[in-house]
Amino acid sequence: MIAPLIFEDLQLAAAAPHRFSLEVPAHRTLAIVGEEDSGLEALGAYALALSSPPHGRVLVYGEEIATMARRAALAFRRRVGYLPAGDGLLQNLSLRDNVGLPLRFGSDLPDRDIDGRLQVMLAAARLSRAAHLRPARANEELRRRAALARALAFDPQLVLLDRPFDGLTNRAAAELLALARGGESAEGSRRTVFITGQDLPGILLNRIESRYRLVDGALERED
Amino acid sequence: MTAPISTAGRAVTRWLSQLGALARFFGNTVFAWRSLPGAGRRVAGRVFVNQIWFTAVQAIPLVIVLAGILSFLLINQAVRELGRINSTELIGTLMVVAIVRELGPLLTALIVAGRSGTAIAAELATNQVMGEVEALEGMGIDPLHYLVLPRFGGAIVSVFGLIILFDLVAILAGLVAASANDMNSLRYFEIVLRSLTLRDTWLTVGKGLVFGVIIGTVPSFHGLGVRRAATEVPIAASRAVVTSTVGIFLVSALFVALG
Repeated sequence: MIAPLIFEDLQLAAAAPHRFSLEVPAHRTLAIVGEEDSGLEALGAYALALSSPPHGRVLVYGEEIATMARRAALAFRRRVGYLPAGDGLLQNLSLRDNVGLPLRFGSDLPDRDIDGRLQVMLAAARLSRAAHLRPARANEELRRRAALARALAFDPQLVLLDRPFDGLTNRAAAELLALARGGESAEGSRRTVFITGQDLPGILLNRIESRYRLVDGALERED
Repeated sequence: MTAPISTAGRAVTRWLSQLGALARFFGNTVFAWRSLPGAGRRVAGRVFVNQIWFTAVQAIPLVIVLAGILSFLLINQAVRELGRINSTELIGTLMVVAIVRELGPLLTALIVAGRSGTAIAAELATNQVMGEVEALEGMGIDPLHYLVLPRFGGAIVSVFGLIILFDLVAILAGLVAASANDMNSLRYFEIVLRSLTLRDTWLTVGKGLVFGVIIGTVPSFHGLGVRRAATEVPIAASRAVVTSTVGIFLVSALFVALG
């Protein structure tokens, strides 16, 4: 079975002395930590071809999004959940509308079905009571929950999380990780989760199957 | 010796490059309509309606006041002065050429560029700086579909509608001014309508569309052109309003030259 996410001979910064290759196995949670200026935060964007690495390529479900035509790339990205650093929520929409936006824009489901799915997602992300708030009125935890719920709108099998736990309590971080993993199956977690960040909360270390540290552009295994 | 020529050449190249990028952005925006998904049309439609609400409906009082005062002052003076030389017939030409055909579209476009063009550029620049544009791309939503296209359409409809409103208010304010100077209402309408030709109507319509296209394109182009620094937001807004204003004046001059 092909790994859902593969980094091949990737160079994160033009000045980085090393390159790395990595496969993120299905149904596993894998995290890479590193310094802020290591270029680590661009991995998610590279995977979705939102930007290009100085060298190397990224395969998602065995395909390189960077080589696809624009419309095909946009459609393909809906198969991946992406939580960018700083949440990326639209400030002029409520948390509810932010979560529902990808469904309303990218699916042909009737409004009634979308509303139903939205209720389930808001409840799962513990957002039901705060869903009416605009991002500017919500605290960081609520915004992160909304951004993750939005990333999971299409129930993707692969989720990319960039600095998802910064500034969160251990309890909130654990809940977000559980939500991203989508429950457990015999093979591991239901979803494949790829996390990047500067650090990971200690409470999560035993829930993340593989951990790496990026040093000078090369990966060192930590677990 | 060659340094000034080299500097000038670089400046022209940069300007042409910007112009080319703007033209490409306009083309992409127009063709984005074809690839807008069915479900996306409903969402983009709501953004479109909001844009019209902000750009057109909320600007109605401002346009009414400006059109009313401008027309009243102009026609008031014209009736008095032209009356002295028994040439009140000329207020029709003055109303149609100066206000309906030239000042109406020009002032309306400048109002919208200053008011909504700045807002569009600042909003999209903020979207860019806050990472919202990248997040949209990451969700598989084309920012052209969600952010640009509704504003583009909203600007065209709004400018067009406001120009018609400006001209109607101006004609009515001219009537008040004429009546205040003892001119018969029917006589006023007869003079104005006699001066109004089909060509004037088409020129006004054409200007409305082109000005709308400028205001729908330029602010979005500058707004999405920022990188990731918050300090770029006011710069984008400023560039948007300056470029739009220059474009509006140039197009207006072009219409006069071709007309």
